Order: sequence, then C-alpha cells, then structure tokens
Amino acid sequence: MDEKLLDEALSWQQALAGDDADWNGFTRWLEADPRHRQAFDELALTERIVDERRDGLRRLLAATAAPERRRWFARRPLLGAGLAAGLALAVGIPALWPGPADIVYATTSGQTHKIALAGGTSIDLAPSSRLVVKGSDPTALELTRGEAFFSVVHDPRRMLSIRAGNFAVSDIGTKFAVNLTEESLSIGVSEGHVAVAGDDGQSARLAAGEQLIAQNAYLVRKSTIATNDVGSWRLGRLVYNDAPLGVVVADISRYSGKRIIVEPQLKNKRFSGVLAIGDGSKLLANLADLMALSYRLEGDRIRVSAAGAR
Amino acid sequence: MEPDDVQGLEALYDAHRAELLRFLIARTGDPAEAEDILQDVWIKIRSPMGRPIANGRAYLHRIAHNLVIDRLRQRQRQMRRERLWTDQRTGHAEPGTEPADTSGNAEDAMVEREEIARLASALATLPPGARRAFELHKLEGLSHAEVAGRMGISKSGVEKHMAVAMKYLRRALLD
Repeated sequence: MDEKLLDEALSWQQALAGDDADWNGFTRWLEADPRHRQAFDELALTERIVDERRDGLRRLLAATAAPERRRWFARRPLLGAGLAAGLALAVGIPALWPGPADIVYATTSGQTHKIALAGGTSIDLAPSSRLVVKGSDPTALELTRGEAFFSVVHDPRRMLSIRAGNFAVSDIGTKFAVNLTEESLSIGVSEGHVAVAGDDGQSARLAAGEQLIAQNAYLVRKSTIATNDVGSWRLGRLVYNDAPLGVVVADISRYSGKRIIVEPQLKNKRFSGVLAIGDGSKLLANLADLMALSYRLEGDRIRVSAAGAR
Repeated sequence: MEPDDVQGLEALYDAHRAELLRFLIARTGDPAEAEDILQDVWIKIRSPMGRPIANGRAYLHRIAHNLVIDRLRQRQRQMRRERLWTDQRTGHAEPGTEPADTSGNAEDAMVEREEIARLASALATLPPGARRAFELHKLEGLSHAEVAGRMGISKSGVEKHMAVAMKYLRRALLD
C-alpha cells in the first residue's frame, strides 16, 4: 500500500472524528480513486480492532510490564507486618541491611515525625513512611515508602540527593514534597527548583508550583500545584490536582493503616480535590462520595470499585 | 438545530437519502451493498434516541459510516476464523495457538489472542513518541489535546505520532 494514500486516508480519518466533518469532501475523495477506499478500509479496520482489543491489550501490557514496574517504584510495603510491630514512637533505628551506618526513620499510620539533619535540612515524615539516611551522610537520603516534605537551606557547596524508587531528586535549597507508592512517584515543589533524574536517563526540572507524577516508565507527567498545597498533609488535609486515583488511594492506605486494593481500570482515573485527614478513618468514605466509588471489605483488605459495579 | 424526534429524523432521512446513497456507494464500491446499508440506517434511526441531535445530516452520515466499518470488521473476522480453522485442520497452526475445540467461542478467543499478540508486538517496535501517544490516546483514553498537554507537544505533533502508530499497526494486523 502506497504511503501517500495511507497518509491521505489517515488525515480523513482524523478529520472525520470531529463534529464538523466534511462528508461531501470525503465522498469526493473516495470517488476520485478506488484505491482511496481500500486505504481507508484498512485504517478504519485497524482502528476498530485496536478499539475492540483495548482492554485485552492493556492487560497484556500491564502483565508484561509488572516486574519492571516493581523495580521502578517502592518496595512492597510492610503494611500489616510493619504496623503490627507497632512502633510506639517514630525513632531512628539502625537498619540491619543496606549498610551498618544507615539511619532509618519510620512512622506508623497515626504518626508524623520531624527530622532535623546536619546542615539545616529539616524533614517532615508523613504517616506510614520510611526515610533512610545513607551511611549517616545527611546529603544522601532515600525515601523507601510514603511521603516526606523537605525543607533545605540554600548552600551552593552542598547538593542534597534523595533517591525514591528509580528516581533521584536533587536540590541545593528549596521546599518540596516527595511521595512514593508501589506504583508511582509524585514530586511537588513549593519553593525554588529541584532536578529529577530517572535511572533510564529521563530528567526534568521542576519549579515552585509544579508537580511531576510518574506512574510507570511511560507515564511521566508534569502539571501544576498550588505552592501551599505541597505537603498539605502537615496541615491536616490532602490536596490533589489531577492525581491518579492509585496515588490518592495509596495515601489513604497510609493514613488509615488499611490495605486498599483498587480495580486496575480505576487506577488512572484523575482526582482533584481536598480530603480532610482527621484520624484517617473517614478518608475512603469521603473519596468514594466525591468520585462515585464503592468499596467493600475482603478479609484484611478493602476493595474499591466503581459505584454500581457488582 | 435539527429536530430530535423520530418523525423529524425520518424527514431528515428523506431529505438526505440521495446524498447518503452516493456516500455509501463511494464508500463500499458496491451499489447493492450501499442500498443494504441505507436500509440499516433507516432501521437504526427508527429506534428511539437517548439524546437530542445537534446536526442531523452529520448524524446520518456517521451512522452510515459506522455501519460500513461494522460490516468490514465482520467480514475480516470471518476470514480470520476460517483461516485459523483451516490451519488447524491441516496442522499448520501457528506456534503458540492451541488447536483445541473448533466451536465458535474457541475460534473467537483465538482470533482475539492473535490480534492482541500482534498489536503488542507491533507496539514494541514503535518509535517511542508514537508509542507513548498511542498509549495515552488509545489505551488511557485521553483526547489528542490532552495527549499534547501531557507530552508537551502540539496537537499536530500528536496527530503525526498517531499516524505513524496506526500505519505500524495496520501492517501488523492486516499484512
């Protein structure tokens, strides 16, 4: 099939998708040459097959991408085990593995923790979160779970680096938040700039009022966020702008201490809005109201589905 | 604003019948099939509509247009099924397909598996921009404008990526 004919057919296909399609022009184009019809048939059929197979294709791609995605983002959290162990207070405990000198800060679902590091970096660690200071070096941090708000004093001689999943965030003096779930990484900046680099070579620079949400290798998206909404959990509320439902639910899971499973087809639904944290127990009910979702208890987990779904 | 009740649509159909027939003949290349589809358009507009129609003429064309693609798909699917069936009978099944029962359901499932596998492997060979545009638009369901916003490119850039993707997939599915 001639490339030029295919290109013509493709522009007609795109033009016909609009409300103001030129049906007469299309008819005349078809009449001009019988090969036009054949080219158009093939592309229309291709599009139809894609549309029919969309769900199956998504499932297949998700299944084959899963092992890689797990590496991209957080390690499987120890919700349950970690919480059952029930740290009475958030404390710095020396980890047994990545290196003897690492310092680990961890919180449970009802706790937050303020960390002051040498050099003037202060960190607010959100509930159910975990931050590692690598080799006790106050400029080499790793967020392995949950969310933290970083406030870094400007010092051009020293670069702070925070690893989160397969990304590194670096900064010489700003205020920003990093949130890591099993499937996503979000970064929001409230002051100054940060640089974000993925292990695969992707990189981005974020300014105050910008956020970046990475959901998998292909869905890294930059959008805006009000600067005072960055780290808003510290003021008792969760504020979202166009955030994937998967990210919102992971947050609720942290605050409520419950394991919550979202139907895969809902994970990419977008949510914009404000949720009051309270004691964490009403978050899911409030979200369900706002997003027309339903949920039910399944053993020790809660399953979220579209309202009206069985 | 055109009328949205059935009677209004019938009047509309009468007014545009000749034009629709010409479109359908050009679209199918077969006057007899064009007449058949025109009949189907008639049947379709007589079933009650859920919402008012802003542009009746465009509405009729779109119904006709979709019916042509429905038939095309039916025919192509039938051919695929028959080919799979023959492959099984003659022992030329492609590797990975499981020759089992040949009832309609099993054949449909095989056509589905085969199409998904072809799409997935074609996707893997796409240039990264085209692949990402395709995933956002077709798999995530974003509009061209939303894809443009997310990828930080123009709408016509998205259209170019989609054109590349559709050409790759056409080859994978139909060649």
